[in-house]
Amino acid sequence: MHKTFHVRRRQFLAGTAAGASLLAMPAIVRAQPAALRIGTLTPLTGAGGNYGPSMRDAIVGVVDAVNGAGGVLGQPIEIISEDTQTSPEAAVRAARKLVDLDGVSAVMGTWASAVTTAVAPVCWESARMLFTVSGADSITQLPHMGYIIRTQPNSQLQIRVAAEFMIAQGAQRMAWIGPQTPFAESSIAIMAEVAAANGASMESLIYEADKTSYRSEVDQIMAGDPDFLLLGGYATDTTVLLRDLYQAGYEGGMIGPAYAVNQSVLDALPAEVLEGVFTWEGTPDIGSGAYARVQEILGVDVVDPYSAQTYDHANLCILAAAAASGASGEAIRDAVRTISQGDGEAVDNALDGLEILAAGGAVNYTGASGPCDFTEIGDITGTQFLIKRIEGGAAVDFERI
Amino acid sequence: MELVPQLIINGLLYGSLLALPAIGFTTIFAVLRFPNFSVASIATIGAFAALVANVDLGLPIIASVAVAFLVAGAVGVATDKIVLQPMRPYGALTTAIASIALTVVLENMVRFGFGNDIRGYDLPILRDWRFWGIRVGPQQVENLIVSAAVMTALFLFLRFGRFGKAMRAVADNPQLALLKGIPTERVTQLAVFIAMGLVGIGGVLQGLGTAIDPLTGFRFILSIFAAAVVGGLGSIPGAVAGAFVIGIGEELSLVVLDATYKSTVGFFAILLVLTLRPQGLLGRKRA
Repeated sequence: MHKTFHVRRRQFLAGTAAGASLLAMPAIVRAQPAALRIGTLTPLTGAGGNYGPSMRDAIVGVVDAVNGAGGVLGQPIEIISEDTQTSPEAAVRAARKLVDLDGVSAVMGTWASAVTTAVAPVCWESARMLFTVSGADSITQLPHMGYIIRTQPNSQLQIRVAAEFMIAQGAQRMAWIGPQTPFAESSIAIMAEVAAANGASMESLIYEADKTSYRSEVDQIMAGDPDFLLLGGYATDTTVLLRDLYQAGYEGGMIGPAYAVNQSVLDALPAEVLEGVFTWEGTPDIGSGAYARVQEILGVDVVDPYSAQTYDHANLCILAAAAASGASGEAIRDAVRTISQGDGEAVDNALDGLEILAAGGAVNYTGASGPCDFTEIGDITGTQFLIKRIEGGAAVDFERI
Repeated sequence: MELVPQLIINGLLYGSLLALPAIGFTTIFAVLRFPNFSVASIATIGAFAALVANVDLGLPIIASVAVAFLVAGAVGVATDKIVLQPMRPYGALTTAIASIALTVVLENMVRFGFGNDIRGYDLPILRDWRFWGIRVGPQQVENLIVSAAVMTALFLFLRFGRFGKAMRAVADNPQLALLKGIPTERVTQLAVFIAMGLVGIGGVLQGLGTAIDPLTGFRFILSIFAAAVVGGLGSIPGAVAGAFVIGIGEELSLVVLDATYKSTVGFFAILLVLTLRPQGLLGRKRA
């Protein structure tokens, strides 16, 4: 059955008039700014699989809170989550989907340095922001045109802190052993520099990441009789390595990044294998309001440093979009330092910041991971480190640096 | 400490771990004529089955190894029946590719069940023994004994049992075997069960010396494949020889190569064998 519409002359005139007046409006009123779209790209599986889910949840928690209060730029924020699988190939596929198909303005939460290195060009070539927790120095040295912001201290800073700690503990024959990663070479160079400055010797061995045993590698590094080892790998290979070192009868000191000597490693290995091993990490700002918010979002007592950082990623991105009155990657890039540092009012969450921005004020975001102030190339300017020592199968706070 | 003799010992012990999954891989190739790459995840499944038996049910390690054999064998037969058998009419290459997809699916099923965390068996970690400056781990020696015992049992079973003869007949010529009244389908399924069971044991032994996660089997699939190719695809003694060649080769490579390039030994061995002696060390030349 056909239904015919008859448009009366009066209706036609009214419609035309409405259309014409709409066209006459200033562009800003006519065009509702596009909604802010955020892509989370965390390691839900693979070597970083211990962290990825809560990193994503921290971002989702921030977005939910902001959406509950009406969103940003007058619209709810959209969020799309993908998995890096802690693999550069899988991560690039996921990033392409986020950028090309979902049209996100910002990608956040890339964890492994090799993953971030692979994903970064996908982002900057399409003018999308990339917020990362990876530490390799080389990442912010890429020609990223300002599209990378990282909340993790770079490996230069991290390794220097660890190497100086080893010296302070009396190390004389230092050694670095770890897999091939974008920060392996630079880590060795920095450690050698610290060793030379303090009259200590230095050896290094780069191994292949995905092996089931490192017995022969251990034999090789022990041939140099080191008295303090820095373990430069991730959790899976470090588990194998620690076991092989124990079996080989290594008795010297050891320090590894907390992301590698983590709880799953403590659970997988008997306490005696780990006794006395030091870990170090850039520590979240425990006791800050932002840290308490992440605790609440995740429902945990102890927030890992990466989830604290991704909480900051989401807040920084939302505030930058609001400050720029635009949701594009370019707008966020141009505005991010106006809300992360400077003389604005200190805020530790996007909701408070949005209110101040709406009232015409300026904000200085200080987050769960620390002050969140960035250099020109996107590195954070300072953070605190926490050294822990493993005693009786548990990591105990040893020193804050 | 002498480095080279130590590396040879390390290689021998690593080779003994590779031997069982390499036998499994080559056995499947012998009877079904395609490389089944799902052995990677079957090894992982074996390792996790033993973990449940050992840690959750409190069974001793030897009993847990038996559980791994049964579970890995059963999963191997089931996945072969459901996923790979329908692919076989489309050729060996198609089936091999399907087996790669299968291994990814199985790996992720392990993830769903057990998460991504690294797990360890309920075992003490002992310091190595030292003889004349060479160190050997008690756990490695135990693994070597288990591996040798399983291999001996397998050889006896295949050499003197009726099944061994039937399996060789099916591997030689399935049509002829069928004409002679050998139930080829049943023989094939039993061969897959035993092969995958061995792969499962390989996963456990690997995990006993280290720790396990959903990628456990994936980490040594290249070495397993290289061992089978070097030994001669389809030859069980060849797989054992290949396992030792690859094991010792990978460890000894540290003398001349950076540790980063350890896996290139496997690639290089495959390349060398396929170029110079495609039938492998102990394989038979095909007409």
